[in-house]
Amino acid sequence: MWNKIKTYPRQLFDVYCREFRLVTHDLGIILFFIFLPLAYPIIYSLIYNPEVVRDVKMVVVDHDRTPLSRELARNIDACQEAWVIGYAADLNEARHAMNSHKCYAILEIPEGFGKKIGRGEQANAAMYCEMSLLLRYRGFLVASTNVAQEMGAEILAEKINLTAPLAGTIVEGDLLPVVNVSMGNIENGFDSFIMPGVLILILHQCIVLAAGMAGGAKRERPSVTGYNGRNMQPSVLMTMLGQMLCYITILILPIIYLVHYVPLMFSFPMDGNIFEILMFLVPMVIACMGLGFCFQGIVWERESVFVLWVVTSVVFLFLSGLTWPRYAMAPFWKGLSACIPATWGVEGFIRMNTNGASLSQVHSDYVNLWILAAVYLVLAYCVQRWLVRPAILKGYNAYASLRTD
Amino acid sequence: MSPTGFKAIFIRSVLQIVRRPIYWAAFFILPLFCFLFLTNLMEDGLPSKVPAAMVDKDGSSLSRSITQNLNGMQMVDLVENCNSFTDARHLMQEGKVFGYFLIPENFEADLMAGRKPVITFYTNMTYFVPASLLFKTFKTTALYTKAGVAMTVFESVGADPNQVATMLMPVNINARGINNPGLNYAIYLCNSFLPCTLQLMILLVTCFSLGQEIKYGTSVRLMQMARGSIVRALFAKLLPQTCIWMVIAIFMESWLFNINGFPMHGSWLWITLSELMFVLACQGLALFFFGVFPNLRLSLSISALTGILSFSIAAFSFPVESMYPAIGIFSWILPIRYNFLIYIDQALNGIHIYYSRIWFVAYIVFMVIPFTMLWKIKRSMLRPVYAP
Repeated sequence: MWNKIKTYPRQLFDVYCREFRLVTHDLGIILFFIFLPLAYPIIYSLIYNPEVVRDVKMVVVDHDRTPLSRELARNIDACQEAWVIGYAADLNEARHAMNSHKCYAILEIPEGFGKKIGRGEQANAAMYCEMSLLLRYRGFLVASTNVAQEMGAEILAEKINLTAPLAGTIVEGDLLPVVNVSMGNIENGFDSFIMPGVLILILHQCIVLAAGMAGGAKRERPSVTGYNGRNMQPSVLMTMLGQMLCYITILILPIIYLVHYVPLMFSFPMDGNIFEILMFLVPMVIACMGLGFCFQGIVWERESVFVLWVVTSVVFLFLSGLTWPRYAMAPFWKGLSACIPATWGVEGFIRMNTNGASLSQVHSDYVNLWILAAVYLVLAYCVQRWLVRPAILKGYNAYASLRTD
Repeated sequence: MSPTGFKAIFIRSVLQIVRRPIYWAAFFILPLFCFLFLTNLMEDGLPSKVPAAMVDKDGSSLSRSITQNLNGMQMVDLVENCNSFTDARHLMQEGKVFGYFLIPENFEADLMAGRKPVITFYTNMTYFVPASLLFKTFKTTALYTKAGVAMTVFESVGADPNQVATMLMPVNINARGINNPGLNYAIYLCNSFLPCTLQLMILLVTCFSLGQEIKYGTSVRLMQMARGSIVRALFAKLLPQTCIWMVIAIFMESWLFNINGFPMHGSWLWITLSELMFVLACQGLALFFFGVFPNLRLSLSISALTGILSFSIAAFSFPVESMYPAIGIFSWILPIRYNFLIYIDQALNGIHIYYSRIWFVAYIVFMVIPFTMLWKIKRSMLRPVYAP
């Protein structure tokens, strides 16, 4: 027993070197480890980098044609969210513009709009929004609410003196100011909202994909592992440990780049302590590797990883609760999401990075990640011991037996 | 001499699909799981009952009634009453609440004395959807409170109660969302994400199945069976896949519009035609990628990159016209973009086909472009080289 344990450091070192050689000589794995974390966040961030939706086109149908109705159209045009591209004679013409994708909303001001304000009645106008994208609708909603309130306040100030001169002394200005503060993502930007979570997902997927492809490479060319069924093979445990150490060595720089430099480049919220964040990511990286080693069980050749795993990114993005919060998920999906390291990784990371939480404040996510890491490593050991290792030793290429020619 | 010709290749291709579990996963298990997952996850349309906290530093009857009003709103669930701003912020950092509503000390007294106390509400915009819903609820509650107070004040100075209501809101703009008045998140997300998942899988599987031929050197045999014609080889090889994808696309259409009942205001004919042409367009694009990089891994990498980036760049949530022009232009080289635009016109808005005609033409372009690369595919099929 002791003799066996004595050889472990040597085995570990051998596996570490072998894996390093394997990774650096395999362009596909290098692509996952280097290109994916380096280039992908940049492409992705650039897509959403304008952050907010400005100047969405709309047309006005003004049946009233009074100074007040023109003021309403002008005020809406002055909002950053909306851009009045022109007037339409009637709703049909406006609809034609909308159907031809020239505008995304129609503001219809009914006849008598100005008169009603003059009489002290409530004046209504309708804004018809095209609903293909919620962000456009949101912009129109914000613009119309703000304009209605501001015009209302102006009219109110004029009216107060006419109706009840005394009230003016009490309600000069805003009676009860209401202030909204956006926390974390203070500019309500879309990029700052989605990217911190996506960064963690990228890290998650790059580890699993790389581990999967490395497993496929070994099954296809068992010679790269150097086992031949007669020589002494490193124990499964040491193999896994050696691989993990190798991957962590390669990943250190990409991880720092992902969680520190990408947010820096694109001015995402960065409220966390980088060392605490790195500490937090340790169990996630380990859990991802465990997941990757389990994944090796069904990867028979290098390229299968694309077909089998890439689509999970979409599923994991939603399971992480970034767009659809976890508390609103059905129990089954909630349970499934709890099994994915990215869920806790995303949740903890965005709270540390964007909301400035400390490691102790995300302790539940941290503990969950360690539990997942332990579970996946145990599972991975079983998969490696009883599925992957025998396959490599047999030199068994699954596809060879399935060829039709 | 084993059989040659179109039929022989077709049968060989069917057998390949049947014999390899990875194809079952790629054709059926993964796409169907994604369809089920995305629609089922967002079944409720909107995540109601957003957890939030209340910081009531006043403790007066007015502040308590605000708390009660807030708690009665559909979209919010006040899970905690905090004593201070710091407590509430910590709760938010721990992820227990998505926002909080703060009523300052001496609120009621200040308000009645006209000292203008400030109501502040904080929303964690790190989570866009729940925070936006919370924002809406908080703002409504604050405005109701304001209106209530203003009414009391006006009436106390002798204004006509009937006039007060209109005085509070002299101008009202009703923002109406056409065809999705309830702001159902599922309608807007599932209809774009499901076909996009399909596009991803079509790109990957097409490149995978062709790359396999080159990787294992079986492409030479394939070309022999096709009697040297690359067109016959590719058509016969891909036809079984086309059939499967078309069945899945039709199933997806029916899953969305029949079973889940998403808005379908147009003609079934055009939507069905769009889905079928979409399958062919995706295969065309994949074939083009494979022609540019006749290598299993490279073509798969490009397909994966394109397929995943499509979810963002095809502008399902962030409009193309708001992107940088240099980035936005890429949305037009994706079949899913046209699928999405046709869906909006023909299913969501149900407008005349005239307005969508150009996008059907775009599909045809995707079907034609691989023909420019046939010579290169043929060359690599005849001399297969596997580069890992």
